[in-house]
Amino acid sequence: MNQQEFMTTLRARLSGLPAQDVEERLHFYREMIADRMEEGRTEEESIADIGSPERIAEQIIADTPLTRIAKERILPQRRLRAWEIVLLALGSPIWLSLAVALLAVILSLYVALWAVTVSLWAVFASVVACAPVGIALGVGTCIAGQPVGGVAIMGASLVCAGVGIFAFFGCCEATRGCVLLSGLGMRLIKKCFIKKEDAQ
Amino acid sequence: MDIQLKRGLLDVCVLTAIKNEDSYGYKIIKDISPYIEMSESTLYTILKRLEAANMLTVRTAEHGGRLRKYYHITKAGLDRIEDFKNEWREVMSIYQFVTREEAEG
Repeated sequence: MNQQEFMTTLRARLSGLPAQDVEERLHFYREMIADRMEEGRTEEESIADIGSPERIAEQIIADTPLTRIAKERILPQRRLRAWEIVLLALGSPIWLSLAVALLAVILSLYVALWAVTVSLWAVFASVVACAPVGIALGVGTCIAGQPVGGVAIMGASLVCAGVGIFAFFGCCEATRGCVLLSGLGMRLIKKCFIKKEDAQ
Repeated sequence: MDIQLKRGLLDVCVLTAIKNEDSYGYKIIKDISPYIEMSESTLYTILKRLEAANMLTVRTAEHGGRLRKYYHITKAGLDRIEDFKNEWREVMSIYQFVTREEAEG
């Protein structure tokens, strides 16, 4: 890959970012490549050293705050025409409510995801709580003169304790999964903003 | 290594690389590379962060018919290095305490 290809690919992949940011980044990498070549390495070697533009772009996007990407995409590049403003205002009962509904759906899906995790933890807590209560109850039942029932209750509470230990690991995994999915979702949203630009 | 810790270390490494004389991107990476690995995009992010924190200033100068950016450390940057040294003197004494405990135990 030569420098021209590297820069073209990187620029295309970063097209969703503010233009000034992109220029600054490109300048930075151009300087890095030039400095390597000055040391006597070939153009190809220098670029291979820096890495693939796809990967670099991915990392840059991950490093850029979502608000910065969103601001760039949402703010129009030119002044709106009068009829566009009129249309936007007249159509606001439709698009505004649709946008709010869409946001609400996304938000509720996200909350539902966490609700599952929270309920799993609740199950874990109740199972663990069963163990001491069950043992106390079992002892009480034995003293009250029903040893068979008492031992059965104690046995059940020990089973609860055992299940609780396993449930703990499951809950941890579920929480980790949620955090992972949150990160993935964030990257997906960023990609949406970038992709829109590519299609134009 | 812990991400937060590594971030702090990288900041100080970059500041140290420009402490004695102004330096440029590729030279900073080369100077640091024996101690800690750093990619170009990581360096870019760090330089931006340090510039925003007024720990360094940037100037563009001509070099061999092209433009190159040079980074210059500020008073705040020098202070950051001093803070780091003081912090780590403490950390090192704790490290010695921990390893001595292990050796005796």
